[in-house]
Amino acid sequence: MSENIYLPRMATIQSMRPETIDVTTFRVTIDGSDGTGKFEYKSGQFAEVSVLGVGEAPISITSSPTRPEAIEFSIRRVGELTNALHELEPLDKIGIRGPFGNFFPLEEMEGQNLLIIGGGIGLAPLRSVILNVFDNRAKYGKIDIIYGARSPQDLVFTSEYKEWQAVDNTRLHLTVDRGDEEWKGNVGLVPTFLREINPSPENTISITCGPPIMIKFVIEALNELGFSSEHIITTLERRMKCGVGKCGRCNIGSKYVCLDGPVFTLKQLEEMPSD
Amino acid sequence: MVDQTKSRIIEKNRLTELLDKLAQDYHLIAPVRDNNVSFRRVESGSEVTLDYINTVLSPKNAFFPQTETLFRFSRDDSRGFRTEPGAEADREQVIFGIRPCDARSLRLMDMVFNGQYKDSYYLDRREKTTLIGLACFDPAETCFCPTFGIDPASGEDVDILLSDIGDRYLVEASTEKGAALLDRFAEFFAELRGDEEQLREARKAGLAGMKKLDVSAIADKMAPLYEGDYWDSIGMKCLGCGICTYLCPTCHCFDIADVSLDEGGERFRCWDSCMFPEFTLMASGENPRPNRKARVQQRFFHKFKYFHDRNGELACVGCGRCLRYCPVNIDITQIIEDVTSGKAGNE
Repeated sequence: MSENIYLPRMATIQSMRPETIDVTTFRVTIDGSDGTGKFEYKSGQFAEVSVLGVGEAPISITSSPTRPEAIEFSIRRVGELTNALHELEPLDKIGIRGPFGNFFPLEEMEGQNLLIIGGGIGLAPLRSVILNVFDNRAKYGKIDIIYGARSPQDLVFTSEYKEWQAVDNTRLHLTVDRGDEEWKGNVGLVPTFLREINPSPENTISITCGPPIMIKFVIEALNELGFSSEHIITTLERRMKCGVGKCGRCNIGSKYVCLDGPVFTLKQLEEMPSD
Repeated sequence: MVDQTKSRIIEKNRLTELLDKLAQDYHLIAPVRDNNVSFRRVESGSEVTLDYINTVLSPKNAFFPQTETLFRFSRDDSRGFRTEPGAEADREQVIFGIRPCDARSLRLMDMVFNGQYKDSYYLDRREKTTLIGLACFDPAETCFCPTFGIDPASGEDVDILLSDIGDRYLVEASTEKGAALLDRFAEFFAELRGDEEQLREARKAGLAGMKKLDVSAIADKMAPLYEGDYWDSIGMKCLGCGICTYLCPTCHCFDIADVSLDEGGERFRCWDSCMFPEFTLMASGENPRPNRKARVQQRFFHKFKYFHDRNGELACVGCGRCLRYCPVNIDITQIIEDVTSGKAGNE
């Protein structure tokens, strides 16, 4: 029998870092290797993550391939599989298939300014890009990261912000929908905040990920700011099972999100049916 | 034309004996009469019936079982699991009595299960299977395979084709695999008598009135219908039962799930249907196809546009099962006519 595309590789959870009340970052290594083993991925790809006996779900990779010691997944507790994942402990085993899907065009982005816009857990796939470009800082222009969540308690990767802000020519703009007594930053929705920051579209590529409603209004704002549809890149979420274009559920028109995505430019999305 | 070198005949009264032999040497799957007529594993020729127009289900189950173990797992001594792949394909199998439409559907399924990622479960079974087809001379009212360029009397997509020409079957091998099987069981086959072509042509008369729709431009004609109201009326009618997708020989969608037992379990896949709301429902609660209209639309766009965009073929073989068994008479041939005539765009 040839290679079995449905058989996961076993991996070990090395650590679990709580990000928010319902988001945890799992740091895992592939068994039989020092770290990522032969799991060679690019920023923007996803993996099918298993808890054997419970099931499998597509999860975006939040670590950067420039840091091969481990693979990281930031996972919100929202369904059956993600609930089971949150019940696990370090040194427990999970299954990994992949990496699958396409990736952010980091090579085409070289020499450009980057505008990275995230909402909620949507920062997870974007963090892979953020760390990747930080590790190749000289190749890119100015980096602006705009990130928002419902409340200060819902912001993810807060332990890393100091480090991000210290990177050359990089700015992190934070906002929350509702503040609290301690919150000194901006209060307001991401698309509104984006308009206030008013970034120039000149030599700039924007990448966005977040809840569908946020993506919709971010795209509207980017259009108003003069970004062309080739320079607006987003990553989509669909229900998936196989991850390899066979089980038939993640298509948008004739594109399978698992094979042809999850990363699409706005120009590509405009050519696809609207479901 | 009958190829004299590769063609033989078999007398009707020797067929049961041939099937007995095939059942000894192969995993033989053939039509059996139960409440309907179904493809089943048979042990002897006497179980087989050839009195059917087509089976309720195509033999896709023999390549892509309705439920199939992908792998088993068990807890090991540490905190991990051991996994072992599901059963390898069984020994060499013969499918006897497949119709040309269903044989074509396998060629379409190959496009899905092959490609960048190879589905070894399906492909191994395909590799280990010899298809013995049965030409159609008495199609059903619901049949429209010529629409898709299928000749119901042709052996294009099988290894061997049998044509019932009265007192005997004309037996033609169209692949090396088929020719090898004819050689192996040579004792059952006789030389042509010379009137076979003539007899077959006479039988083909029954195919003359078959429905043949013009689908040459259907993929292009589907595109503008994405936004229209046409699918509302079909979505209103649809009960969402999914029978069309289960009976369709080209439908390949599946679900993957786990069964957990005490110290292990298995991961399996089973047929799934784009007609079900859960098919696309995400854990977040978002559902990109939230209503029947969207799901019906997906089914027909997949068949007549998306599959074509990806693979250059339409994902229908005109077997007529969906229109025969749809409880509310949604008629795929009517939809084709509405789309190609432009009527669908005017609604």
